[in-house]
Amino acid sequence: MSDLYAAYENVIDLCLLNAVLAFSCLLLLRVNLLSLATGGLMAIGAYLSIWLTMREGWPFGPALLAATGAGALAAAGLGTLVLRLRGDYFAMATLAFTEVVRILALNADPVTGGALGIFGIPKYTQTWQLLALLALAIYLVWALRRSSLGDRMRAIAEDELAVAAAGHDVARLQLGLFTASGAIAGLGGALAAHLNLFVAPSDFGFLRSMDAVIAPVLGGVWNLFGAVVGAAILTVLPEVLRFSAQLREILIGAVTLLAVLFLPTGIASLPRLLLRRGRLA
Amino acid sequence: MILQQLINGLSLGAVYAVFAVGFTLVFGVLNVLNLSQGAVFMWGAYVGLEMVRTLQLPLPAAMTVAVMAAGLLGVVTEWLVFRPLQRRGAHRWMGMVASLAFARILIGAAQEVFGTQVIRYPDATLVDATLVVGEARIQGLQVVALGVALAMVLALGLLLKFTNFGRAIRTVAFSETVARLVGAPVARVRGATFFLSGTLAGGAGVLWSLLFQSVSPFMGDTILLKGLTVLILGGLGNVAGALVGGLLLGLVEVGSVVAVGSGFRDAVGFGLVLLILLTRPTGLFATREAKRA
Repeated sequence: MSDLYAAYENVIDLCLLNAVLAFSCLLLLRVNLLSLATGGLMAIGAYLSIWLTMREGWPFGPALLAATGAGALAAAGLGTLVLRLRGDYFAMATLAFTEVVRILALNADPVTGGALGIFGIPKYTQTWQLLALLALAIYLVWALRRSSLGDRMRAIAEDELAVAAAGHDVARLQLGLFTASGAIAGLGGALAAHLNLFVAPSDFGFLRSMDAVIAPVLGGVWNLFGAVVGAAILTVLPEVLRFSAQLREILIGAVTLLAVLFLPTGIASLPRLLLRRGRLA
Repeated sequence: MILQQLINGLSLGAVYAVFAVGFTLVFGVLNVLNLSQGAVFMWGAYVGLEMVRTLQLPLPAAMTVAVMAAGLLGVVTEWLVFRPLQRRGAHRWMGMVASLAFARILIGAAQEVFGTQVIRYPDATLVDATLVVGEARIQGLQVVALGVALAMVLALGLLLKFTNFGRAIRTVAFSETVARLVGAPVARVRGATFFLSGTLAGGAGVLWSLLFQSVSPFMGDTILLKGLTVLILGGLGNVAGALVGGLLLGLVEVGSVVAVGSGFRDAVGFGLVLLILLTRPTGLFATREAKRA
C-alpha cells in the first residue's frame, strides 16, 4: 500500500485536488449555473499565496486562508455583476472573467513571471490536507442534501421561476453558492500552486475551467461521489495513456463522449444500474 | 496609418465573422453551443493545405474542397453528438461537454495524421500583390480574404432570406413546435444547418491560415474563444449581429494593439464582452432573444 502511494503520489494528489475543484462547480451546477470562472478564481488564489509565502515569508496556513478569502471575495464581486445573466450568457461572462484574469497574469511579469511562469515554488501541499479537504467537501454536500437548503436547490434545478414565485430569494442563494464555490476555487488554486514546483498563467485558462465542469457532469451531478469519480477518471486516464500523446487525446475524448451519450446520470450511477439489471435478470 | 489599421482590422474581423456566423447559426436552430466548431475550422485549414501541397490544386479549388469537407464534418458532428442527445432530451450542458470531447478527438486525430509542427502554405499559392495607397501597404491577400469572407456571409444571408430552405431554417430557429406544425422537415433542417455551419468554419480556417501563414492542430482553440466573444457581442443566434460583431472585434483588437500593445489584445475582446453583458444582458444587437427570454 505504501509502495503504491510512493509510486503514484503525484497522481493521487492531483486526483484529490481535481475532485475538490469539481465540487466547487457541482455546487453551481445543482442550481442550473454553469460557471467557467474556476480558472480565474484559482489564479487569484494561486498567485496570492505564492506572493505571500515566497515574498512576504508567510507560513502556509495563513496564506491558504488568505487565498480562500480572496477567492470568495472575487466570486462575490463577480457574482453580484454577472448572476443576473441567464444560461449561456452567464457561462460566457464567467469565461470572459477567466480569460481576462489569465491575460492580466500573462502581462504582470513582476508577480507572475509572465508567460514563462514561476519556478521553484516550495512544495507545502500534503496529501493529507487534500484528503481532509475532500472529506470536508463530501460531508458538506451530504449535509446540504439533507437540509432545507438542499431541497430548495433541487427545486431551483427543476424550475427556477416557480421557486422565485413561491417567495424564495433565488438570487441570494445563488450568490451565496457562487461565493462558496469561489472560496473553494481560491483555496484549490493555492494548493495547486504549492503542489508543483511550477505555475504559469496557461494553467488557469478555458480548458482548466472546462475540466472542472466536465468532472461532475461525467461522474453525475446528483450523485454524492459523482464529482470524485469524474475527477479521478479525468486525472488517471491521461496518466494511463501516457504512451502516446495523440492516442491519449482521442481516447479521453471518446470516453467522455461515450459516457455523456450513454450514461445520462453519470458514471457514478453505473454500479446501481448494473445492480438493477442483475436483479431483473 | 489609419487606413492600414482599418484594412488589417477588417480582414481579421471578416474571418472572425465567418466563423462566428456558423457558430451562431447552430445556436439559433438548436439553442446549444457547439464547441467542436474550432476543431472543424482546423480540419478545414488542413484539408485546404493538403489539397494545395499534395494534390497541387489551385487555391480556389482547394478551398472549395476544404469547405465541403468541413461541411461534412459538421454533419457528422450533428449525427454523432447532437442527434442522440436531442432524442434523449438531454440537458444543454451535455451538448457542450460532448461537443468539446468530440473536438478533442478531432484534434488528436489531426496530430496523428499531420504531426504537431506548424506548417505554412507554399509561397507560390499566395496572392503576393501589394497595393500602396498613400502610406498604407495593403496586401492582395487581405483584400481577397475580406472579399471571400463577406461573399460567404452574404451568400448565407441570401439563402436564409430568400429560399424555401432558408425559411425552414428560420422557422425552426424561431420555434421547433411551430416548425413541426407547419410541416418543416425539422431533422433535415438540423443536418443542413450543421453542414452550413461546418462550411463556414472550414472557409474561415482556410482564410485564417492564408492570412497568418500557419496551420497547426491547436489553431482551433484561439478562434473558438474569439467565436464565443463575437457570439456574445452580436447576441446568441443573431446572424447579422455575428457579422457586425466579428468586424467590430477585428477592428477593436487591431486598435488595441496600437493603443496599449499586443500583450493585452486578447483581453480587450473579453473585457468588451464583460462590459456589454453588464449593460446589455443579451448582447449588443439582441432583439428577439430578449423578448423570448
